[in-house]
Amino acid sequence: MADRRIGLTGPPEQGRTTAARAVAIAELLHLESSNLLELYRKRESFIANVISGDSRLVSVPPPSSQLETRDKLWCLQTALLHCRGLLERAIAKEDEELGSQMGEYETLRKMVKERLLSLVNTIGELIKAVDSPAMVTPTLNDSLEPDNLTVFEMKLWVFRVFTEVDYWAKTAVTVLQALPKERVRISRLRSTRSSRR
Amino acid sequence: MPQLQDSHWTVWLICCFLSVVHIHAQNDLTVPQEVTLTTNMLMQQISLSWLGSSVTTFDVMILRPELNETVFYDTHLTVNKTNGRYEWNWTSAEPLECTSLSVQIRSREGTATSDWSNAQILQGNDLPTNAKFQFYPQDRVVLAGSSTTFCCIVAEGLRFGSIHYGDVAQNATRLSRRSYSVTVTDQPTSIIWGTNVLCQDIENSGMAGAVIFVGYPPLLSDFKCETYDLVSAVCQWNRRDTRLHGKRRTRFSLNNRKCAETSLMEIKSCNSELWEGNWTLEAVNPLGQYSVFDSADIRHRVRPVPPSNLSAVVNAWNATLLWTWEYGSYDSLALACQVDLSNQGNGTKRTFTGAGLRSVQLLELHPDEDYNVKVRCGAQQNFWKWGNWSEPLSIKTNIDVPDPPDVWMHINDDNTGQIIWKPLTARQSHGQITSYEVTVWSPEENLQHTETLTPDSFTLSVNLTQMSAFTSDNQIMATVIAKNAAGGSLPTSVIIPLRVEDKTPIVETRVNYTDRGFHLIWQDETNSSCGYVIEWHNALCQRDCSVEWVKLPIGSTNASISSANFQPGVRYNISLFSCSSELLHRWYGYTQELAPSRTIPHLSISQQGSDILLTWGVMPEVSRRGYIVGYNVYLSNDSQLVQLANILGEDSRKYTVKGLSEGTYKFTVKAYTSAGEDTGATTSITVQLLADWLILEILASLGATALLLAIVTFLCYKKRKWVKTAFYPDIPQPKLNDDWSRTRGLLDVSASPHNPVHVVEKPEMDSFKEVLVVIPEEDEEEEDQMIGDEPADTDEPSSLRYYNRMVDERPIRPRYPDSSDSSVSSMDSGQTDVTYTGIQTSASSLVFQTDRQLSSEVEMAANGGGYRPQRQAMSSSDASRPMDLQSSPEPQAACSGGYKPQTSWHSDSPGEAEERDRPAPCLGSPTSVASTQFLLPDGESDEHGEEKRPLSASAAGWFSNLLSSAKP
Repeated sequence: MADRRIGLTGPPEQGRTTAARAVAIAELLHLESSNLLELYRKRESFIANVISGDSRLVSVPPPSSQLETRDKLWCLQTALLHCRGLLERAIAKEDEELGSQMGEYETLRKMVKERLLSLVNTIGELIKAVDSPAMVTPTLNDSLEPDNLTVFEMKLWVFRVFTEVDYWAKTAVTVLQALPKERVRISRLRSTRSSRR
Repeated sequence: MPQLQDSHWTVWLICCFLSVVHIHAQNDLTVPQEVTLTTNMLMQQISLSWLGSSVTTFDVMILRPELNETVFYDTHLTVNKTNGRYEWNWTSAEPLECTSLSVQIRSREGTATSDWSNAQILQGNDLPTNAKFQFYPQDRVVLAGSSTTFCCIVAEGLRFGSIHYGDVAQNATRLSRRSYSVTVTDQPTSIIWGTNVLCQDIENSGMAGAVIFVGYPPLLSDFKCETYDLVSAVCQWNRRDTRLHGKRRTRFSLNNRKCAETSLMEIKSCNSELWEGNWTLEAVNPLGQYSVFDSADIRHRVRPVPPSNLSAVVNAWNATLLWTWEYGSYDSLALACQVDLSNQGNGTKRTFTGAGLRSVQLLELHPDEDYNVKVRCGAQQNFWKWGNWSEPLSIKTNIDVPDPPDVWMHINDDNTGQIIWKPLTARQSHGQITSYEVTVWSPEENLQHTETLTPDSFTLSVNLTQMSAFTSDNQIMATVIAKNAAGGSLPTSVIIPLRVEDKTPIVETRVNYTDRGFHLIWQDETNSSCGYVIEWHNALCQRDCSVEWVKLPIGSTNASISSANFQPGVRYNISLFSCSSELLHRWYGYTQELAPSRTIPHLSISQQGSDILLTWGVMPEVSRRGYIVGYNVYLSNDSQLVQLANILGEDSRKYTVKGLSEGTYKFTVKAYTSAGEDTGATTSITVQLLADWLILEILASLGATALLLAIVTFLCYKKRKWVKTAFYPDIPQPKLNDDWSRTRGLLDVSASPHNPVHVVEKPEMDSFKEVLVVIPEEDEEEEDQMIGDEPADTDEPSSLRYYNRMVDERPIRPRYPDSSDSSVSSMDSGQTDVTYTGIQTSASSLVFQTDRQLSSEVEMAANGGGYRPQRQAMSSSDASRPMDLQSSPEPQAACSGGYKPQTSWHSDSPGEAEERDRPAPCLGSPTSVASTQFLLPDGESDEHGEEKRPLSASAAGWFSNLLSSAKP
């Protein structure tokens, strides 16, 4: 079972290439989400601690080091999917409430959204590369978007969404950067067990 | 007493009555009953209603109960009944959520008031039960320039910090324990995402806020409806930016039908399926609404849609443009269509008309050119507006044969030449040129030669000498044909004269360049029956020049020549030819003069006497870059140039600098044009005065001196009698008792033991230069001192006083006390004290004149002459020691040095007169002689003194000789 979980269906080089691409995308996403967060904070004159500490929007626990690679990737993908849903809703909500223009902010917002989708897809490829049954994509909780928000509350919520995206982009970078070492270890383990057979 | 009691009771009753009346009156103003309080939180409005008596005047008091502050208090409020209840509204400056309010009301009639009603409390959100951080109002939309009051309710346990409107901190007012308010006035319009108003506690641990949108109500203009399909209507308008977006954007309705929105952006047009003729557009946003109206007949509002499916049938010089219409209703519609034809950046519009127009023919196109075409149409009748442009169509016309090339010829000085033609432009070539065909032929003789040249060839060299050998004609023809894929152009010919050397040279004329070019004027030549050709090229070019030309029609007498290839500082030769290639006139000129590009060549310098001659060469043509106006000559002096001369004229290429003294000089010469000077050529020279010249000057000076002396001598010779009388009178013969004349040689003066002559030596003179000096009396002490250093003089027995002036009459005192005795004794015994005054004649003259005389006179004196001449030992050995005249007088007499009195005497001194008054002295006794006559030094003295005054001495000797010779 353990073998099946950690086994790779494709050649190791392909996995490494996908992982490297995932790291690159995650780094880009982190950079862009940080820029978006900073741009929004300046635009709205928000102080850094405008969000109270207990306000995590994505309830997926951060991947711990004890988890297997597949579980880490699954957690990461789940969180990022959640972030993507939040981001899409935030954008739609903001456009509905405030209108939309094509400025620097809107461009950057769109870029983060697309990058996030790209990272989710890439992590999906990595998960497929792991010899494991297909994971069920979590359904997003609609109650994540609060109702009857004032414009100010909506802005705070959007800020929290951006903060969440930035947090998970950073987490993705950390997890994905650690991934190749583990894959090397996994590959060695597989080859050892194969030889015993 | 009873009366007093009655009156007392009366007063008491009255008082009671009055008090009862008063109490009754108060009880008549009933306290408002059933007071109810309703609120409109959005409008921040309180509505009070109550039941009351018939009074219509009330007092209202609104307090903030927590701090017991009066928010509103007004008396004499007139309130009317509505539906049997009194109703009164009040709008709070602060949002009603900010803090609790207490409202009371009482009736008033004049000064009488009822009691206050029970307080109606409007609970605020700052109650302890609502401990959250709150901010009011939320999502407010206000008019630009208005004022808004915000309040912040700090969370329980936190302390108020600040309220910021945007980035600007505001001054807050405390409303209650937790509630603070700020009022922002004259609010500017907000950006698309609104203006944030933030409230923070003092430790920034919590915050609340709101977003306010500041904008304008809608304002519309230019509302017009039109039809594209002759059925429906499209209404459009302009609007001002309300600064309100998103949910607060302006929404439009046309004839009460909501206009469809394709996006969240504000729309600018609204459609109606049918033409209604009258339209009302209403715009609404949170700040207000605006309505505009339009009314029109559909035939007056036709705006055709753009033509579609644009296509073309293209020829070389024209094209037919085709298109289709989206609506069949256009078939019968009279249309005016505009075709925009752009070619090489130039656009033209051509208008065509017709019912249901679907094609037009475009004429006057050019072959082999690209055109962009687009079409728009409008209703020909009741024109409203042009429709939108169709999608552009690019077409390219077909090729055609080229235009005839512009051909000319240019003949070099060496009897060679070239046939040249201008490259055909794209518009002239009508397609890619494939070749040029050049035919040289003789019209008289049936000879021809054809060459085919590549498309990039524009010249063909010809040798006129060789051609002359083949034909006897004086000219040949050259014909050029340009060819492209469509065929050859019409030929262009030019006449080439074969014998140009026979022509007389043409005088060149200078021509100026103006804004319009070189303006040339000539007289119309009758033989130029086919026009003129003006040709120009760089004047420096000698062979196969890059020639430009222009052809002018018959009868032209002037032209302005301009070219994009003209360059400043280049001289151009411009020639006027007849169409038969006969040179008629020639000009030259510069489009713009520049300063010479180099310095003048061959600058040389030479000294001619004290003058300096600068010469230089001709500035090369290539470096002139303008007409050389002249030259400036500068003297370089410590990096500064001092202008010496401005030499006008190009051919003046030398300059003489005069009057220079010795020294080194650096000269700079600069040629200049009207545009300025060149950088300057510099040369230097060291001026030295010539030795020959110095000698010449000396000789001239000597000659002048000699001439002067000759003149003086001549005059003196001519007037020698007068001179002798004036300067050399005869000495009268001494008058003696005896006949001296007969006993002359027997006078014996040797008996005198002393030399009666008092000789004084000049102390500062060299010992071997013994001369007579003047001894002024004042220097007596000094002399004593000096003489005291010379003990030899102490033995001097006598004193000779020589003055070149009148003698002092005072007796000569003895010089040395220690020798005074002897002196006195000598004086007493036989001293001859001789004092001479007058001109001291050079002794040398006397030496020459009287060497023999002197010896004879000395002899005569020794033999008993009238007086003894004073002598002074002249030998150097003797001069170094004191003369002992007393012990050895003869050597003195024997020596020819010393002085002697003149033989003739002239009693012109009082002393002498006195002497004469006295009895005649005895020659054997000491004799004192005073004389004012010249004392002539002897020759040796002169020789010694020659170094000091050689000229005067020689002149004096010469003069003395002259006088001597003049003696009778």
